[in-house]
Amino acid sequence: MNNRIKKALSLVASLKVAIALLLLITIYIIIGTLIPQHATQALYQSNYPTLAPIIDALSLDAAYSSPLFISLVILFIINLTSCTLLSLPSQLRRSRSIYMPPFKAESEYRVEEEDEKMVKSYLKRKHYRIDTDEGGFSSGKFRWGALGATVTHIGLIVIFIGAVVGNIASDQEMISLLPGSTREFEEYGFSIHLDDFYLTFEESGAVKQYISDMTITNDDGTTHRQSMWVNNPLHHNGLGFYQANFGWTSDLLIRQAETGESLVSGLIRNGNTYFYQPHHLNIMLYGYFPNMDIDVNQMPYSINNREDNPFYAVVLTQFGVNVGSYIIEPGQVIPYEDIAITFTGSTPYTGIVVRSDPSYPIVVAGFIILTFGMFMSFYLYPRFLFYTNGKLYAESGKNGWVFYQAIKSGITAQRKTGKQ
Amino acid sequence: MYQSIENTTFMIAIVLYIASAVLSLLSVTGIVKKGGKVATSLALAGFITHTAAMVARTIGAGRLPFSNQYEFALSFSWGIVLSYLVLYRLYGFSAIGAFVMPLAILVMGYASLQSRDVRPLMPALQSYWLTFHVGTAILSYGAFALAAGISVIYLIDEKKKGSQRLVQDPEVSDMLSYRVIAFGILMLTIVIISGAIWAQKAWSRYWAWDPKETWSLITWIIYAIYLHLRLRRNWKGRAAAWFSIFGFISVLFTFVGVNILLPSLHSYAT
Ligand code: HEM
Repeated sequence: MNNRIKKALSLVASLKVAIALLLLITIYIIIGTLIPQHATQALYQSNYPTLAPIIDALSLDAAYSSPLFISLVILFIINLTSCTLLSLPSQLRRSRSIYMPPFKAESEYRVEEEDEKMVKSYLKRKHYRIDTDEGGFSSGKFRWGALGATVTHIGLIVIFIGAVVGNIASDQEMISLLPGSTREFEEYGFSIHLDDFYLTFEESGAVKQYISDMTITNDDGTTHRQSMWVNNPLHHNGLGFYQANFGWTSDLLIRQAETGESLVSGLIRNGNTYFYQPHHLNIMLYGYFPNMDIDVNQMPYSINNREDNPFYAVVLTQFGVNVGSYIIEPGQVIPYEDIAITFTGSTPYTGIVVRSDPSYPIVVAGFIILTFGMFMSFYLYPRFLFYTNGKLYAESGKNGWVFYQAIKSGITAQRKTGKQ
Repeated sequence: MYQSIENTTFMIAIVLYIASAVLSLLSVTGIVKKGGKVATSLALAGFITHTAAMVARTIGAGRLPFSNQYEFALSFSWGIVLSYLVLYRLYGFSAIGAFVMPLAILVMGYASLQSRDVRPLMPALQSYWLTFHVGTAILSYGAFALAAGISVIYLIDEKKKGSQRLVQDPEVSDMLSYRVIAFGILMLTIVIISGAIWAQKAWSRYWAWDPKETWSLITWIIYAIYLHLRLRRNWKGRAAAWFSIFGFISVLFTFVGVNILLPSLHSYAT
């Protein structure tokens, strides 16, 4: 290979560059945690007047998807991949079952032990492979552990590939469903029907779970029922359904006051307005309070979501003028001219994240490889022993003293049991 | 009743830990001769009552004490003392207690400032991944605390000679802090991964750059840099010791600082 290319390659694959990149990445993501993400330009202008241009230039308002950040990560992965590939031949050589490191006679990590037979039986018991030569023997185990760093790095690369796939191929939408409604997922060949959605409560009134009972109908007509809740998503044909939030839908009923004839009946969510055309009346449901109380500012709020003390706050306006504000119980009537306005009850609706993410299995595979690689590096590292002239030398590179301690106490224990 | 058992054993544990730390410090400074063994016994006694406090909490709450800042601090300090006692059992270095026990006391002190109310778990926390995630975090953080303590010993010993040293051979403290950090980073890897898998179940995303997540990643990168500098650039001794202390500051920030200073999905853990 051309010398120049060789030089360039070893720079790309160097640990110096790796550490520089890791430091830059670290500094960048630290800044990302300090600056609020995805806020408006105005907020940065007012909170960080001097930094705002820098935030803008480096896209620090969307730090983790900015071109700068993505470039740093890509450079890092190139570096990691080339470094892993370049060191692979030597790692493979060291992991071969006949490999022995050079013997260091000056090593401090040695045990004085004349009884060669006893040492051998100890090593056999510990599954060491023993090669005899003149004047002693050499022995080793876990040579394949030399591949630990490589496996670790491959795990990281797989995770990174997963992240790229996830960014390109994942898709997500937010839907909200009322019990009794159905939603088609044509592309995926099925529909879901929300049979019921309900909350369960702790004694204190805090929500314990948000539970949806669903019926899934495939395009071929087969159906099955399944429930989902937080931490228990529903998966079907590559789509995942995740409980995300919920709210209340209230039943509005407008009747003719005298005859009781129903004029309008419909559903309305908190904060929404129904426009009643004949009277030019805006009926705004300020809020449904399932367990109402009044705060220090005389404003209604709900202690929790258990329907212990339900009330509706309703504001009527006509041509922009307030014509009445009410706090009413379910079924209680607001009379207005010749009509009677009531809220008869409320039903919770569920907000569900629907997500397809083909990258997840890749990432999980990367997680497993990474963890196993680290375990190999730290605990299944190659161990070597040399026995010569009544001395046993322990050699394990970076783990020197720790391995030596283990051998020393192992041999001592063996000597004791051997003498019995 | 469990609450009062918990409170009493918690107090006893703190007192025993303080006694252990003081005796340890007196013995490493040479004021008291041969106090190390007694100091370790005090730490062990404290650890047993500490464990009793955690068991009382577990029974009282009907789940492991893993879910708010008080419970996590209680478990974190338990992890610190546990890793110290395990190291002592393996290698018998009692001097390390003088530098590790104060860290445990610090975290216990932090725990005592937090609310001890037993509150039911919010839906997102109701997962067996919580147990796994926090369980490994305790081991990981405990290991990093221990490594920081050993690194302080290294920095002290490095300047001394022979028998004045706390651990005869500074190379041994150097090696031990590496091995303990290796365990810590393996555990931290599992913490981050189990958190990601759990987030995927609870929030549909395995990674969302939430500040707590991000800071655990930062801590992880710091220790990864440590491993490489050590292995490939021979950064041992002093530099490695400072690195390990610096890494532990990042651990503390991830644990406490993020909750106080940065907005986070994890802030329900307060
Ligand atoms: C955050 C990213 C990284 C992680 C988590 C990681 C993880 C590891 C681990 C666990 C080891 C074994 C260490 C030990 O046994 O003490 C290792 C070794 C090593 N890593 Fe990495 N690594 C990363 C990035 C890199 C990069 C970018 C490079 C290349 C420039 C690199 C080059 C090496 C080398 C050369 C070794 C030593 C292999 C040996 O001598 O056996 N690492 N890495």
